[in-house]
Amino acid sequence: MSASDGFAGYGPLPDAYDELFAQPGQARAAFERVAALLSAESAADFEHRQALAEAILLQEGVTFSVYADQRGTEKILPFDVLPRMIAAAEWAALEVALKQRIRALELFLHDVYGAQHILNDGTVPRDLVLGAKHYLPQVQGVMPTGGVRVHIAGIDLIRDAAGVWRVLEDNLRTPSGVSYVLENRLVTKRVFARSFAEARVSRVDLYPTKLAEMLRSVAPEGVADPRCVVLTPGRFNSAYFEHSFLARTTGAPLVEASDLFVGDDDRVFVRTIRGPMPVDVIYRRIDEAFLDPEVFRKDSMLGVPGLMRAWAAGHVTLVNAPGNGVADDKAVYPFVPAMIRYYLGEEPLLAQVRTYRCDQAEDRAYVLDHLDELVVKAVDEAGGYGMLMGPQSTASERASFAEQIRQNPRRYIAQPRVELSTCPTWDREAGGFAPRRVDLRPYILSGRDGPWVLPGGLTRVALVPGSYVVNSSQGGGSKDTWVLKA
Amino acid sequence: MTTPMIARIADHLFWLGRYVERADATARLLNVTRTLGLDADGPEADVWRPIIIATGEEDPYTARHPGDVDGEEVERYLTWDEASPVSLVRTVRAARENAWAVRSTTSLEVWQAINELHLWLDGPDGRRMFDRSRHEFYRRIQRFAQLLFGLTQSTMLHDQALDLVWLGVLLERAGQVARAIDVHHHALMGQADQAVDAMIWLAVLRVCSGYEPFARRRPGQATGPNVAEFLLLEKDFPRSIRFAVSEAHAALARLCPPGTPAGQRSVARLLTLRGWIDALDPAAAQRDLHAILTHVVDETAALGSLLWDDLFSGRTGA
Repeated sequence: MSASDGFAGYGPLPDAYDELFAQPGQARAAFERVAALLSAESAADFEHRQALAEAILLQEGVTFSVYADQRGTEKILPFDVLPRMIAAAEWAALEVALKQRIRALELFLHDVYGAQHILNDGTVPRDLVLGAKHYLPQVQGVMPTGGVRVHIAGIDLIRDAAGVWRVLEDNLRTPSGVSYVLENRLVTKRVFARSFAEARVSRVDLYPTKLAEMLRSVAPEGVADPRCVVLTPGRFNSAYFEHSFLARTTGAPLVEASDLFVGDDDRVFVRTIRGPMPVDVIYRRIDEAFLDPEVFRKDSMLGVPGLMRAWAAGHVTLVNAPGNGVADDKAVYPFVPAMIRYYLGEEPLLAQVRTYRCDQAEDRAYVLDHLDELVVKAVDEAGGYGMLMGPQSTASERASFAEQIRQNPRRYIAQPRVELSTCPTWDREAGGFAPRRVDLRPYILSGRDGPWVLPGGLTRVALVPGSYVVNSSQGGGSKDTWVLKA
Repeated sequence: MTTPMIARIADHLFWLGRYVERADATARLLNVTRTLGLDADGPEADVWRPIIIATGEEDPYTARHPGDVDGEEVERYLTWDEASPVSLVRTVRAARENAWAVRSTTSLEVWQAINELHLWLDGPDGRRMFDRSRHEFYRRIQRFAQLLFGLTQSTMLHDQALDLVWLGVLLERAGQVARAIDVHHHALMGQADQAVDAMIWLAVLRVCSGYEPFARRRPGQATGPNVAEFLLLEKDFPRSIRFAVSEAHAALARLCPPGTPAGQRSVARLLTLRGWIDALDPAAAQRDLHAILTHVVDETAALGSLLWDDLFSGRTGA
């Protein structure tokens, strides 16, 4: 590269896979051309580009944690303007692998809430599945109208030191973040206009159209022109930006639970200024615990009384179906490769991370002995909560987790800490690029015609030097993800 | 399938319109009164007390600032005071909260404009401009409001959402103009000084952007009664009470056509108000000005709550 190299001095970490650079000063073969373009643009006032990107996001209201206090403080999801690259061939392979995994998880859910073959023959332990916090007995025997349970999935992938993609966890309930994928793209197109035009990057803006098509495709039988709505907890919810984004880009009205009611005929209606109108498909962005107070929380003022009844009767489609949490439980995760073999008769295409189940005596003993090396996670938490990063933990944190594991072993699993791959990321204080660890959450939509994968997905980046935690609640940010065309 | 407006969203759209119009009206009132204060020979309180009365804030303001009314204090109070529900900073924040709630229903441009106004007013730049260039400060708020009104027309679908925003704008406008006239009408009772009289009525016209339109309709006739009649009854002036009420009725009638279950009581009530204004005799209007303006203020307020019961609560027809 030339002397005006914006990446001059960038040094990948010795023990991690760098997404862009094979070694200092040498971009990976598939990215040489794009790295040169970005480098040329970056050399001139990168700090300015970063500030411009942040200003755009704030002005457009691409924010979270709105109204955390009375003055309505808002924050943008921290954004790093240098995109993460994925080569065409690599993405093609990932796409096939993700579809395989989603097909198996979908079949697993139908089986668990149906005939339970996989439990009956012991391939997956019955107690483990039926004892999962998010297993819903109310769903047993219900075949959702439209035939799909995992309409929208987000599969968290990481890359180890050898460059091998591994699934870290599955999100099959209400995976979030896709709006940032689209907004991040708008920003990089403005900030890196020239590079973007020449780089030949796969489009992401098809997502809302695909989502709207998917929602229509899973409407109840016999509804020719379905009415779809997006259900949000409300404008004070931290993910409200995304909910409104999904509503306005798909053309579906954005409703709150109080806008909906279930009539005497077990059909769902929305209150409009022209009176009640029937609703056919609900893309719900509220936890299932708050969906229907008649079923889940009798004391709750939230939710739509009777909604589960309407769903079980096949009068309305819920996206995603209730009960999916049984398949993304972190203690069920180790069995996904077995599910793929069981239902599809195929070898799993995606690697996993070695997982110790604390409800197994042998695993538990190992975990308790190696807390300082392992990452411990609560099986039913997300967002980086309920987690112990062993190598960075204090003795008292470890003692506290050891106690919790002994008290409630089913609730915990542990994994070795994977050396997550890194991407060059702007370090404002250093005034240059530094390696920061990333993961990738691709989004998979499944309608009547099977799965479709959004090219790329959300790249989350641990902005704190040395950190392995990419969650926005823990100092993480995001990057645009460029899947290069072949 | 297109869906009629969700009732709750309809309420937010209506209030979005109301708050933007309110911010505009407050900024106009403060800016014009400031200029008027500069020209006035009498005590400053004579100019500013009516403003505090017009905003309905007389009691809380006096409690906070006893003694003579001071212009700078009134401006700060009506611009920045977090305790005052009508302060500009709170009005703009309320407008933006409603815009956030209807983010999926308006347009990107409408959201961006209101968000930009809020970020500016709530941040250091707004304070700085207020301290350095007061006129520019108010003017900026007025221009943002006008930008927003233009953007609703030029970037939103011309469907129910637009009618709901404008129903809010127009009902708020009718009430604000009525208050602006009434407060000066009060202040002038018993004043014999013709020069002061004319000056104040010209100021009222300026508050309503009506100075030049009035001059074209009634050249050289800027008396109190003529100005009042113009702002009350001129059918071609977009900030007259008659215009605002007529257009508000037209919007509501489109939203709730005959035969739809919700909103019919509101339509009937607004139609009655419209008919009553249309039937006003200009001479009688000048004589009973205060009673007429009070009726307009009361009716626009009553319509606000009736619309909730009748339309926005979503209970009618359910």
